[in-house]
Amino acid sequence: MTSAPLIPIHSYLVVSVLLFAIGLVGVFTRRNAIAVLLGIELMLNAANINFVAFWRYSGGAQMEGQVFTLVIITVAAAEAAIALAIILNVYRKFRTVNVDQINLMKG
Amino acid sequence: MTAALSQHLQSGSFWYVFAFVCCAAGVLIPGLLVVTSRNILHSALWLLPCLASVAGLFLLLGAEMLAAIQILVYCGGIVVLVLFAVMLTHGLGHADIRVVNQQLLWGFIGAAGLAGIVLHLLSRQMWPVGSSLAPGDVTGRLAEALLSPYVLAFEVSSIVLLVAMVGAIVIARAEPE
Amino acid sequence: MLGGYTLFLIPGFPFIAFVLIAALLLRRGERVAPFVLIAALLGSLSLSVFALALTEGHKSFSAALTWLQVGSVTLEIGVLIDGLSCIMMIVVCTVSLLVQIYSIGYMKGETGYGRYFAYMSLFSGAMLGLVIADNIAQTYIFWELVGICSYLLIGFWYRRPSAAAAAKKAFVVTRFGDLGFLTAILILSFQHHGLLGPHSVFGFRQLEHLVSTGAIATGAATVIALLLFSGAVGKSAQFPLHIWLPDAMEGPTPVSALIHAATMVAAGVYLVARTYFIFAAAPTALFVVAIIGVTTLFLAATMGVAENDIKRVLAYSTISQLGYMMLALGVGGYAAGVFHLTTHAFFKALLFLTAGSVIHAVHTNDMWQMGGLIRRMPITALTCLVGALALAGIFPLSGFWSKDAVLAAIWSSHLPGHQVMFVFALIGVTLTAFYMFRLWFVTFTGRPRSEAAEHAHESPLVMTAPLLLLALLAVVAGALEFRVPLTAGGIAGVLRPGAEPETTSALVIAASFLLAMAGIGVAWAAYRAEHISPASFNERFPAIYRLLKNAWYLNRAWELFATRVVIAGARLAAWFDRHIVNGMVDGVAWLAGWTANRLRTAQTGQMQFYALVFICALIAGLIVVFGREQTLLGLVMRGP
Repeated sequence: MTSAPLIPIHSYLVVSVLLFAIGLVGVFTRRNAIAVLLGIELMLNAANINFVAFWRYSGGAQMEGQVFTLVIITVAAAEAAIALAIILNVYRKFRTVNVDQINLMKG
Repeated sequence: MTAALSQHLQSGSFWYVFAFVCCAAGVLIPGLLVVTSRNILHSALWLLPCLASVAGLFLLLGAEMLAAIQILVYCGGIVVLVLFAVMLTHGLGHADIRVVNQQLLWGFIGAAGLAGIVLHLLSRQMWPVGSSLAPGDVTGRLAEALLSPYVLAFEVSSIVLLVAMVGAIVIARAEPE
Repeated sequence: MLGGYTLFLIPGFPFIAFVLIAALLLRRGERVAPFVLIAALLGSLSLSVFALALTEGHKSFSAALTWLQVGSVTLEIGVLIDGLSCIMMIVVCTVSLLVQIYSIGYMKGETGYGRYFAYMSLFSGAMLGLVIADNIAQTYIFWELVGICSYLLIGFWYRRPSAAAAAKKAFVVTRFGDLGFLTAILILSFQHHGLLGPHSVFGFRQLEHLVSTGAIATGAATVIALLLFSGAVGKSAQFPLHIWLPDAMEGPTPVSALIHAATMVAAGVYLVARTYFIFAAAPTALFVVAIIGVTTLFLAATMGVAENDIKRVLAYSTISQLGYMMLALGVGGYAAGVFHLTTHAFFKALLFLTAGSVIHAVHTNDMWQMGGLIRRMPITALTCLVGALALAGIFPLSGFWSKDAVLAAIWSSHLPGHQVMFVFALIGVTLTAFYMFRLWFVTFTGRPRSEAAEHAHESPLVMTAPLLLLALLAVVAGALEFRVPLTAGGIAGVLRPGAEPETTSALVIAASFLLAMAGIGVAWAAYRAEHISPASFNERFPAIYRLLKNAWYLNRAWELFATRVVIAGARLAAWFDRHIVNGMVDGVAWLAGWTANRLRTAQTGQMQFYALVFICALIAGLIVVFGREQTLLGLVMRGP
């Protein structure tokens, strides 16, 4: 792993894009709010893969890639906590976690 | 890629490629299952292998510290949190309730479209060949980066965590009867 | 050139008097009011005579101040001194002066005494401003101002509903004609203003120059002339806008004498005379003027025959005589028309003032309640006789000379159909003499027909003195034909420098004289000697009687027009406003609402829908940016 990489960066980027698209499908199509959150987590991870891949393939001397990834993980954790708290609150109020039934902003 | 694969098989880098393929599959297939499971609990559980495989990819790329953090925070923290939420909201229910909404077709098209375009753009590009990893302690360099140039980001993200924690408590608190 | 601006005082003095009287009224100084006005009028009269002397019979000059400049149009206020304006000014000043003196007696004890003289001074100033104006816009402004004064004075006794109604009718009917006048001014300013550069287009001398160089096509000139004439039709009570004048008799009699006999109603004739150069360039318009004139002349004379109210007879007489003036102008007898205007002012004012004297004594307008007043009011009766003879055109009074000039002009004109017009004019002469002497015989001769007539007595000197002076003028004004004082020629020469007076034929003189005598004779036979019975005549020709009694039903015709046509038009306009104009505005609002309703389907309230839209926009953006080339990606990948 310290020697010259054996596969082109292209592979990692393709994985990242595919994971991102999968996460996007989850965000668009699921009714359960928690499932939407899971999709968002997948998208965040896809971004992380992207960052680390570029960090590695640009020599690994500049640590910005890893720092940013760390920050993303941190923020994702915070966001997941808040989102789940909100979902709990919404569940108490509306008795459902289905996103399409929470449409008070309609019109 | 196939030519490189066969070459690397002969040169002994087979395991690296194999590891990569396994991790990639471990990311994508559980990921797919996360978004397509009818059962929300299963969705949450499938997240686990997915995130673990992402950690694997980090290892293959030489970011050991990040891999460890990924396991700890994501798999150990966030998935547990999601499981709690699933339990508390009784998302499990009658099997015949719809899991997907009306946007299935267009959602799929949109995501596929985006993936297609970006993949196309990626393939058009000639990516330069990567170099060997810079010598030295990667984790040490990460620590130095966090505590010197990016100390502000470091401190702020810790405050973000604090705020999120307090916020989550406040939001999720049961209303006084 | 200060001398020129001094002449601004001619209308200026009465206006100053108006302000002073208004100020006096506030401080309870009513009794002085008439004297302020009389002093002002004396000043104006002196200046007018001075101006006449300045013209020396053939010169003309003007002085103007710029009043307002809007874009390329300049409005000036100025004076134009020539034969026409001088004669008009002197007539207005003289008659107004004598009427104000008379009013001191007539209006004595009336509430609103001061208000009366305030309005009278305003009117005098406005009338003088009208005749002295050097441009058409100023004429129009003062034209409207005299209209207002007429309204105020007709409705002087405003608590009387009939008076208020009459004032309103006068104003609205003349307004009808004034619309044409204003349109003519607008056409002149918008269509032709470029032709005269930055200076006022409205100046009469400039307009005359414009027309003489042929810059205005005959068609346009005809339209402008006819529109100007419509204003004159309203103001001078020509058919069909004559209906207001008989009702205007609701005002005090001196008002009728001044405004509705001598001056304001003459403004229409004056306007045609002033803008005669436009009419001369449009023969069709002149023909219309003549036709209207002869129609008015005849109809009004017939209507006067059937009236029993003294003032209304005189009102119809005024309308008829104004018809004569218009007819004269139409057939080309410019000097004859203005000459008749001058003599008519004197004897008609005289007749009205004598009528006022009688009414003041007997407290009624109905001639059948009078009778035998010749013994009780000799001065009034005599002066009235003089006026009646002048009106009938009996030699050697002034009316004879001017009416003869008019008839001669008709006889010798080249207008098609002038012979028919001449015949009608002669019929008018007979009818005029008839109704005038019917009035005189019934009012002054025979036995008194009521208590009031029994106990009537002559009016005080302040009222009879103007009567005598006016009678004198009615006798001698005929001499103007031959020699206008302070000038070198007759009235024709003064009005149209270089023009020769129209020749007359003995035939015409004889015909008019004989017909007038015939009219007087019939009146005597019917009303004095009672050889003919009017009652049996009415029984034998009931249709004619009804027709004349109801003034040819013209009032009714206008009433129908106003209620049917005008209101129908108003309803149409209201419908248009409600449905189309409002509809457009409401339609815009409706469109906004409909669009909003359609657009609000995009606001589903579903978060995932919004996310989808976001990604689709991102895809579109990517296609647009990277569709052409991958420069951005190349820029990004600047790595090792």
